[in-house]
Amino acid sequence: MTIGDKFTPPQNVIAREVGDEAVLLDLTSGMYFGLDPVGAQMWRLIAGGCTLGEVCDKMIEEYDVAREDIERDLLALVRDLTEKKLLLRS
Amino acid sequence: MENRAALEDAVKLLDDWTGATDRVEGGPGMSGFEISAPRPQGAPPGSPFHKWVSPDGATWTEFYRTETGHLLRFPNLADFEVFAASGAVICRPAPDVEQATLDHLYRNQVLPLVLSRTEKLVFHASAVETPAGAIAFVAQSGRGKSTLAASFATRGYGFLTDDGLVLERQGEDYRVMPSHPSIRLWEDSRSALLRPGAEPAPPLHFTSKARFMAGPGLTFRDAALPLRKAYFLGGGGASGISIRPLGAAETLIEWTRHSFLLDIGDRQLIASHFDRIAALANDLPCYRLDYPRRYEDLPRLLEAITAHAAAPEAAE
Repeated sequence: MTIGDKFTPPQNVIAREVGDEAVLLDLTSGMYFGLDPVGAQMWRLIAGGCTLGEVCDKMIEEYDVAREDIERDLLALVRDLTEKKLLLRS
Repeated sequence: MENRAALEDAVKLLDDWTGATDRVEGGPGMSGFEISAPRPQGAPPGSPFHKWVSPDGATWTEFYRTETGHLLRFPNLADFEVFAASGAVICRPAPDVEQATLDHLYRNQVLPLVLSRTEKLVFHASAVETPAGAIAFVAQSGRGKSTLAASFATRGYGFLTDDGLVLERQGEDYRVMPSHPSIRLWEDSRSALLRPGAEPAPPLHFTSKARFMAGPGLTFRDAALPLRKAYFLGGGGASGISIRPLGAAETLIEWTRHSFLLDIGDRQLIASHFDRIAALANDLPCYRLDYPRRYEDLPRLLEAITAHAAAPEAAE
């Protein structure tokens, strides 16, 4: 996985925002996955077509954190979601 | 449903719907229930896409898809054919099954599942009326929602449902629909909560819980009320009374886990159900409630819940 990669949710995964959080539901497996506000924002940007690098850029604009921290958290999230088949590499 | 508690939950739901049939059958997409002549259960239409299994490994319910909708088979008890187009249900009982058992299966298991195809939301939860409005206790069976409902009801706060909480959206509110005026309790809860001589309802041969009818010592609230707060019951590991707000995502997941759904493979049904629950999770304050399961603590617990229910959200 590189920072230039793009990912998309598969058709069988739906996301719903609740407050500033989000829940992903895999319609095939029935599995749920909750996202906190930061994770929900990352999901929105990824699902909107941003590369992981672009996601980092936008997150840094919004949150006062170091790029390496955001990048580490983003890669961990994407790794987790792809393992759970909630995201696919484009 | 993979354990005894869940099985009891399913059985218990049947009670809750007795008396609600007129309202339910008059709703959108619902056109009635009939029982045909008894006959031995024949070969099923293929393989079940889902099963509910009891703790001893026996199959409690098998779910099949048919050309006209769904078939729900309760082995050696009855088949229920659910017609997708009309929402009608035909019960085909096995020989020598009592009418009360068929009614219970329909009202506690089949009907909540059928309702999941409509705009209504159906959950494993009890509900009571407090001075602040209706509140719900959401949990799988065995976590104390019936005990809590009975505790409120013996103190004059009417219960609206013992389980099978049906919510109907009306404007900004989610209204709790009253169900059958009875509560099912294990013997220890009965002896701790109910006065001797509490009116029992006819027993069912496939459950060991006893059912008690509402009456002077067990208040029932026979009116739809807006739901003000919901409490998801913890496992009893807390050392004292603990009430904490649930996050939005956690709330959505919890409501989803405690939902009734006729066809877990119907993506359109699940997606629309998920949308409705997301709206509920956004609109209704929800909490995790845990407490030691000690009957002697119930008065203090009820005071704490009642006070919490009355508190404005900002002050919690």
